[in-house]
Amino acid sequence: MNKSASITRRLIVSVLLLEILAAIALIAAVTVDERHVQYQALDANLRGTSNALLGAVQDAEDEGDNLLLDLRGLSVPSGAMYRVTDERGRTLGSAGDVPPLTLNDGEVQEHRIAGRSFRFFVLSGERITDPGKAGGVHHRVTIVYGLPDGGVWLEVLEAVRFFAIATALLLGVTTLVLIWTVRKLLLPIRLLAAEAESISVMNWRFSPPESARRFDELRPLVSAIEQTVARLQHSFQQQERFTSDAAHELKTDLAIVKSSLQLLSMKKRSAEEYERGLSISLQDFTRLEETVQKMLTLARLQQPIEPSVHACHLNQMLEDAIEHSNSFAMVRQISMRALHMDVVSVPLDGRDASLLCSNILLNALQHSPDRASVDINLQCTGDLARLTVRDHGEGIHQADLESLFEPFFRVDSSRSRKSGGTGLGLSICQAICKRVGGSIQIANDPSGGAVVTIVLPAIPVAARAELSASLKP
Amino acid sequence: MRILLVEDEQRLAHNITEALREAGFAVDHAADGVAGSHLAEQGVFDVIVLDLMLPGKSGQRVLQDLRRMRLHTPVLILSAQEGKESVVELLNGGADDYLAKPFDLGELIARVKALIRRGKGVSTPVLHVSDVELDTVHQTVFRRGQPIDLSPMEYRILEYLAHRPRAVVSKQELLEHLYDFDWEHHSNVIEAHVSNLRRKLNIPSTEPLIETLRHRGYRLREGTSA
Repeated sequence: MNKSASITRRLIVSVLLLEILAAIALIAAVTVDERHVQYQALDANLRGTSNALLGAVQDAEDEGDNLLLDLRGLSVPSGAMYRVTDERGRTLGSAGDVPPLTLNDGEVQEHRIAGRSFRFFVLSGERITDPGKAGGVHHRVTIVYGLPDGGVWLEVLEAVRFFAIATALLLGVTTLVLIWTVRKLLLPIRLLAAEAESISVMNWRFSPPESARRFDELRPLVSAIEQTVARLQHSFQQQERFTSDAAHELKTDLAIVKSSLQLLSMKKRSAEEYERGLSISLQDFTRLEETVQKMLTLARLQQPIEPSVHACHLNQMLEDAIEHSNSFAMVRQISMRALHMDVVSVPLDGRDASLLCSNILLNALQHSPDRASVDINLQCTGDLARLTVRDHGEGIHQADLESLFEPFFRVDSSRSRKSGGTGLGLSICQAICKRVGGSIQIANDPSGGAVVTIVLPAIPVAARAELSASLKP
Repeated sequence: MRILLVEDEQRLAHNITEALREAGFAVDHAADGVAGSHLAEQGVFDVIVLDLMLPGKSGQRVLQDLRRMRLHTPVLILSAQEGKESVVELLNGGADDYLAKPFDLGELIARVKALIRRGKGVSTPVLHVSDVELDTVHQTVFRRGQPIDLSPMEYRILEYLAHRPRAVVSKQELLEHLYDFDWEHHSNVIEAHVSNLRRKLNIPSTEPLIETLRHRGYRLREGTSA
């Protein structure tokens, strides 16, 4: 079920359903009330006419104390039924075929006669004739009066119909207003979507519509989009710069290799010249290869890894790196002093840890003056391993501090190119540290020289034991 | 012809310098923008080959300053950058040609030669002065159909003079345009070469092709009659 859902439609349908339910309830209430009112009116009518009929009972003016019904001046509705009887059961007057009813005085009952519904009212009243003789003659007159109640329902229907039409009209009008309002309210979302859609690699500008900022519900969305765009733009630009710098680097190295070979083939040369030219070309080619190799290493290190797959002793790797770079240090009479060397295990692949250590050491050696010292410190505090390498060189220019870890950045491009640096060493170190949640920083020491500080998460002793156990076959 | 190469990448600079020298040019090299600018502003070069990404001062700035000083030396830009600075912008900024790295050394030399010709107001690679034909691509010289064998330096002097017929060219100018700073040079070296050149070009019963004007220099005569 992949039907598209529309908030507008759902909102309108829900509100309309509620409105219709309310209208139905209202009409039902009105019907009940109207029926009640109409019946009350009918009953009042019944009572009134019954009383009038009672009033129309007169002395018959004969010997027996008989009564008669004098209907002069009394209008009885055409559909009405009545029967007036006296205490002896004589019928004084009637209209229609009144059914026999067992009702007390003042009671109302419905009855169906020939398919029509009637409402009957019974009135028993005292009628005194011959008031002249000894308190008069008391008669007990019973009046049964009935009217068809079809008219009541007609009235009720009439009233309800009026209500229903009015409600339907109101419903129609509110629906239109609702559609318009909901559309208007949702407009900022559409504008926001259109604005977000216009973002592309060529156009990173995102200016959310003012209306979207005004609504509390939309503000988090706006800021989320803004932050995402900014993050994407930043990483895209970084990537773009890296690609451009990498292309520049490779093209330069390629230009060297190509020109070396072309120079060699410009004219016939002696065997020695060819030999020398080939060896130079090979050197140029080796440098191109090294650049490619380092770029691939950096690319590999920028891929995320599964946490704590690897582990190695950083102190061991550091000692190995010191030993390896010692020959280079000895040429320039630089002493490498390991001031403190804690035994610490870090979640790094041994290859990466060794690359990290040797890069940092070579970097320090390159920037050290002859006969100076490079101070190395490895300390484990809690769950952090902290490695500092300090040289006694010129330090780093303030303006360069921020760019040191950017790929292909060289403090002085011409000088570093000569020394064979690719400008990728520190980027690789940073990638190694970042991949396991560590960090690397370079700062100038107040008393001269630069200090590289590497902080890596250390593997606790217990976990280390577990890991080494699991590594055993 | 003397060329200035401004390129910070040492190995590449070395290769280009060698190739241009083998093609018969005098080449000076500057490894950064500041030194490049200083050399370029002396106005003794026939072409400047300029890299864009330079330490000290960018190639764009070097070019800008050169043109601001009203120096019209042809400039060929070398660059490995892509997109950052469009070719159109560079040409509009006063560059005369553009080559993207990695380039072909042969193409670089051909373009440098073309720029020199244009710079001297010549459009074909074969120059005709009087009855001398000078092919700048193959560096061969004919007089009245007869090939004349010249040493590289003699050829360069003749080519330089042929680019400026009827003009008086001083010894100083020849020195500046035919030798780079790496060479030991004295004006009597020029005299020796010119004397040899005149002898080789000479055909009996004609006026000498190269005139010597005392204390002023040399002039290539045009339209000598037999």
